[in-house]
Amino acid sequence: MSRKSRGQEKKHRSGTIPTDSFSDIAFLLIIYFLVATSLVKVKSITADLPSGEKAAQAQTEKTPSVNLRGSEIFFNDKQVSFDELEARLAALDLPAQEGSKRVILLESTRDTPYSSYFQTLAAISASGGVVALVQEDEKK
Amino acid sequence: MKRKKKRRSVPVPTASMGDIAFLLIIFFLVCSDTSKERSLSLDLPQSGYVEKTKVGVAARISMDKDGILYFDGQPVESAKDVEWGVRAVLANTVADDQRHVQFTCDAALPKEQFEPVIQAIAEAGGILEAVGEKRQ
Repeated sequence: MSRKSRGQEKKHRSGTIPTDSFSDIAFLLIIYFLVATSLVKVKSITADLPSGEKAAQAQTEKTPSVNLRGSEIFFNDKQVSFDELEARLAALDLPAQEGSKRVILLESTRDTPYSSYFQTLAAISASGGVVALVQEDEKK
Repeated sequence: MKRKKKRRSVPVPTASMGDIAFLLIIFFLVCSDTSKERSLSLDLPQSGYVEKTKVGVAARISMDKDGILYFDGQPVESAKDVEWGVRAVLANTVADDQRHVQFTCDAALPKEQFEPVIQAIAEAGGILEAVGEKRQ
C-alpha cells in the first residue's frame, strides 16, 4: 500500500525547458541555408527589345542592319569581322541619338548558332542600340 | 619565493549563442533567393560585354542542349507558353526594373529554336537578360 501510494505520487520536476540543444539546431539550420542558398549571381547582357509592332514601325530604309549568316556577320550588307562591327556601331554614336534612330535591325539565317547571336546582341546593346528582330515573314 | 598561479576557470558565455544563431537564420531566410532553376546541361555563350546581373528578374526561362524549354524551372511546350507566362508575371508591374526576364540558352542551339523564345519575351513586354559567360 505504501509502495503504491509512492508510485502514484507525482514526481516534482523542474519546469524548465531544455534549451541546451537549441544552438546546435540553429547552427544546423544555418548550414542548411548556406548550402541551399544561391549566392552566385549570374552574368548577363541586357537588351530591351521592342515588340513586333514597334519594330515594324522602326523599319526604314536608313535603319542600319546586322545580318548573321551562320558565323559570318554582315553590316548593311557588307561582310565585316566582329571587331569591325563593334567599330561601326561605335561610329554611329547611338547613345547620342534619339528614338527610332537608335534602332538596329538584327536578321539571322536558320543555321545561326545562339553563341554568335548572343555576341552580336551584346555588342549592339553595349553600343546603346535598340535591337529590332526581323522575322522570316517580315523579310518577305 | 615562487608565487603560485591561481588558475581560474574561465567559462565561455554560450547562453546567447542560440539567439545569435536564430538571428542568422532569420537573416538568411529574408535575404536568400531560393533557386527555381534546375541543373541544366548547357554551354553558355561568351561575350566581353556580360556583367553581373544587378536587377531582380521577374521570370527565368531556360533552354537546354536538347531544346527543352523551362519556365521558372518547369518544362513548357512552346514559346507561346513562355509569352503567356511572362505576360501573366508582368501584369502587375509598374516599373521597368520589374520587367527583366532572364533567358539562359545553350550556345549551340540554332535560331529556329531560340529566336521564338526571345520574340515571345519581347512580345510579352519583358526586358531580356541573356545569360552568358565573360570572355577571357
